[in-house]
Amino acid sequence: MFELKKFRKKSPWILHFNAGGCNGCDIEILACLAPKYDIERFGMINTGNPKQSDILLITGPVTKRTRERLVEVYNQMPEPKVVVCCGSCASTGGIFRGMYNIEGGVDQFIPVDVYVAGCACRPEQIIDGVVVALGILEEKTKEIEKTIKLANKPVVEEDGQVNRRNMPAELTYETAV
Amino acid sequence: MQSIIILSILVLLAPLVGGLVYGIERKVKARMQNRMGPNILQPFYDFFKLADKRLVMVHSTHAFLGVMHFISIWVAVAVLIFGGDLILVIFLHLLSTALLIMGGFSTRSIFSHLGANRTAISILAYEPVLIIMAVSIYAVNGSFQISSIIGSEPLLYKMPLTFIALLLILPIKLKKSPFDVAEAHQEIAGGAEIEYSGIFFEAIYTAKWLDYIFVYALVFLFGGSNYLLGAGLVVGTFIYLNALDNSSARVDYRQMLKFSYFVALPVAFINLLITLFN
Amino acid sequence: MRSLQLLVLSLFALPPIAGLLLLILPKVLGRIVTILSVVALSAISVYLFVNFDKPFQILIPGYSDKAVMIADVLLLAYFAFIAIKRKSVLVGLLTIGQAIALGYLIKLLGNHEGGIHAQFYVDRLSLFMFLLINIVSGIIATYSLQYIDEEDCSPYRKKFFMFTMLWFIGVMNLVVSADNLEYFFLFFELTTLASYIFISFRKDKESVTNALRALWMNQIGGIAILGAMIFSLSTIGYETLSFQTLVTSAHTVGLLLPLALLAVAALIKGAQMPFSSWLLGAMVAPTPVSALLHSSTMVKIAPFIILRLAPAIKGTHLSLAIIALTGFVFLAAAISALAQDNFKRILAFSTVSLLGLMILMAAIGTQTAIVTSLILILFHGISKCMLFLNAGVLEKKFHLKSALDMDKLAESGPFTSFIVCIGFISLMLPPFGAFIGKWFSIEILGSTLRETRGLTALVMLAIACGGAVLSLLYFKVMGLLIARSGEKDKVTFETTHPLYNINLVLLLSLILAGVICLPFLLIGYFGPVASDVLGSAVAVDVQSNFSISIGNMSFPVIPMILAFLVLPVSLFISLFVRFKKVDRVKEYACGEKIDYKFNSFYFDTEFLLPYFKAVGLVFFALIIILTVI
Repeated sequence: MFELKKFRKKSPWILHFNAGGCNGCDIEILACLAPKYDIERFGMINTGNPKQSDILLITGPVTKRTRERLVEVYNQMPEPKVVVCCGSCASTGGIFRGMYNIEGGVDQFIPVDVYVAGCACRPEQIIDGVVVALGILEEKTKEIEKTIKLANKPVVEEDGQVNRRNMPAELTYETAV
Repeated sequence: MQSIIILSILVLLAPLVGGLVYGIERKVKARMQNRMGPNILQPFYDFFKLADKRLVMVHSTHAFLGVMHFISIWVAVAVLIFGGDLILVIFLHLLSTALLIMGGFSTRSIFSHLGANRTAISILAYEPVLIIMAVSIYAVNGSFQISSIIGSEPLLYKMPLTFIALLLILPIKLKKSPFDVAEAHQEIAGGAEIEYSGIFFEAIYTAKWLDYIFVYALVFLFGGSNYLLGAGLVVGTFIYLNALDNSSARVDYRQMLKFSYFVALPVAFINLLITLFN
Repeated sequence: MRSLQLLVLSLFALPPIAGLLLLILPKVLGRIVTILSVVALSAISVYLFVNFDKPFQILIPGYSDKAVMIADVLLLAYFAFIAIKRKSVLVGLLTIGQAIALGYLIKLLGNHEGGIHAQFYVDRLSLFMFLLINIVSGIIATYSLQYIDEEDCSPYRKKFFMFTMLWFIGVMNLVVSADNLEYFFLFFELTTLASYIFISFRKDKESVTNALRALWMNQIGGIAILGAMIFSLSTIGYETLSFQTLVTSAHTVGLLLPLALLAVAALIKGAQMPFSSWLLGAMVAPTPVSALLHSSTMVKIAPFIILRLAPAIKGTHLSLAIIALTGFVFLAAAISALAQDNFKRILAFSTVSLLGLMILMAAIGTQTAIVTSLILILFHGISKCMLFLNAGVLEKKFHLKSALDMDKLAESGPFTSFIVCIGFISLMLPPFGAFIGKWFSIEILGSTLRETRGLTALVMLAIACGGAVLSLLYFKVMGLLIARSGEKDKVTFETTHPLYNINLVLLLSLILAGVICLPFLLIGYFGPVASDVLGSAVAVDVQSNFSISIGNMSFPVIPMILAFLVLPVSLFISLFVRFKKVDRVKEYACGEKIDYKFNSFYFDTEFLLPYFKAVGLVFFALIIILTVI
């Protein structure tokens, strides 16, 4: 039968999210798109739009400010989707770990499929990581993937300037989405 | 009867051909940048992949308008291929763009709104030129019917300036750099189409392929009965558009409007006057 | 024939009688009387159109001429009273001017030994206008029963408002069937008076200023008509006061000055720049008034007069000057509208713009152009009426006047926002009637380019650009009021008063029915009317390939059916369709969840308006100069 599944591998669209890093990894990701590494030959496009992408490339440690945005963007991606953490900061918090404004690695909040090590990670490594992610992508189902924390943990917005809404009530993703 | 069947098949195949054109375009663009580029069938891979995603939308009205955008642009292309009235075809195409714009406006999404606003402005930029083009064709040919235009002498020799004006506004129409403010992927992440996902985005994506067919069919008209010339023009336009897209930076929407009204429109208008006084 | 004449007379008499009854009767009975009379008026106008076979005249006994003259004098006296009461020098001067012209005219009439002319002439064009006036204004009258009830004023003034509205409908019926110019002048001035009463209804300072402006501008039109009568009486060859004789003998006489003066009166009534400000000022009145003035009645006198003149002025310098003016106004008004935020002002500018297009088409005067003009008059009337009535609902129910505040309208009032959408779309996109007007006008101008050696090429350019600017304008407004958040997936319609709802739905179904019936309307309705206008048969035929040919144009039916399925039907469905098995996500805003306020691009074109008016004035001067030379 005509398998739609196998086309996932052939056209993975990328969403790049900087959760609060130093831009080192971001530059490497952009280098992947440039003529030297040219990941478009695998059919990848950097869409910049969660609703149309399959792979979430995250760089940098999760800060208090980006946490909710990260979860929101993750939730807006339709399944099947994979998450790739680029660099040590995104994987564990890296050298920022334990700082007052840092929440830690990405995997505390959303399920991560591939960790790419390095500070900053090299373009070859990123391509390698994405290729591994493609294998995972092909096996995934269309079941809704839930975020890890935030579901029951009340969130207090310390600075009311940006977001005055009652986040805990809105962020019960276990039931809502 | 036989011609009707052939034309119907052409209409049905239009999205396929458009997808192929898009695939070739991505390849050509990559080669121009000294990249390898994706497979030529890449748009179809994207198509099938998008069909396999979980269904997600903002609200039903928005999703439905996206699908109707695709259908309406297909209608416009069908009327064009069947040789209808040129101005009617231009307005039917406007209708399809209107549905996209309304889709963009129907959500409470900032990027969507920005994109829809800019799309409306780009209509302002290119539509008068298209209409002047249609009227010039009438002045030369004595008919607005596409079926009679395609059977007449090549239009290119009589209205080269109009063709140049058309070339100048085509990047606006196809949302190509330097006039891609309406889409502006790095700036507003795709504009009016941003909120569509999965199978609904597929409709928008395929509509884009049909847009290629529409535009290149308009270019093909300039060849008249000389189909070889028409095909040559299409290829030339294709290369020109991609070279321009690769080599230019995006301009502001005000600059785009100014360019359209002070360069493209006068050029088309001068040609109209020349044909009238000949 | 006799019965038809009686029916036409009943069209004149019924509205004022109903209005008088309304003044006496209590509220509920008054409502019933109004609705009944409106239904009767509509039924009569439809019956007339169906059973009509050839144009006829109506002769009224001779002493009514004297009565008309006395009414003229009384009217001028009232204008003088207004001028003194409001201390308006301009109105006073113009009234004196009118009085002098009228006196001269009476003296001329004394010398003039003309035969007895019929005072009224009813042809299909009049019947066409009857249909538009009675049905659309009837809907407005029913609507304003409720609207004026919610207005903050005394019960007497409410009744007086309805009374004015009803007699105004009667006067409109008279205007479109008057043949004697003397009568025509009286009715023209009565409409001016009605506009003064309507606009000054709210009695505040702005209303009075605007009402006085409307008064003096339209008085210039009155002077132009008086001038036309004087010139027509004193020119050898015309020596007549009959509209029909004037038009038919224009070719043999050659001097077009009376016609030019009539055209000037028409253009002023039609609010062409620089006289657009009276119509724009009219929005201070209660909204039904705007609906009445903009859609079916007052301003439609302009294309009506030009249509009457069309056979005489076709191909002359006069028609070229009118074409140039109206083409310019079409573009200029559209550009000026872009700067506006107030919903009613936007609508008003778009009316001015589209009126320009109607008059332009009428002035071109070819078969197809006349048909196009008629199509535009009808469908613009219905669409604009719906939009204005909806503006009234917006004001009364949602307390919204500026388009910028309509941010969340689609959530609180989905039906209202849907009506606005359909209204705007029906003015610009296929398959709606107004779009057909735009499309045909471009093709007509394109096909007349050769004959005018490119003189109309600039006008064509203006139409092409103006059409695009108008689309941008409509998109701009629509974009402000159709945004709905993802949580409001299921549309629950708001409840408004049934008198509002029924009328809006009625207009909506008229628009949609107009689209569906357009092929039949072209054959059985617009074609015959255009033949009567031109005095020669207009060929509207069905061709083998499912298209209808009008003159040298063809109207393809199949693409129109497809467009109908794509646009209006899909918009309807899009309101009700629910994709059940699809999950919802929030809108993308880089992960933020702030509720944004939406706005539109700001276009700074307000400063151009004085220049536009100056250019308009030059064109007006050109109309007179070209005809004198």
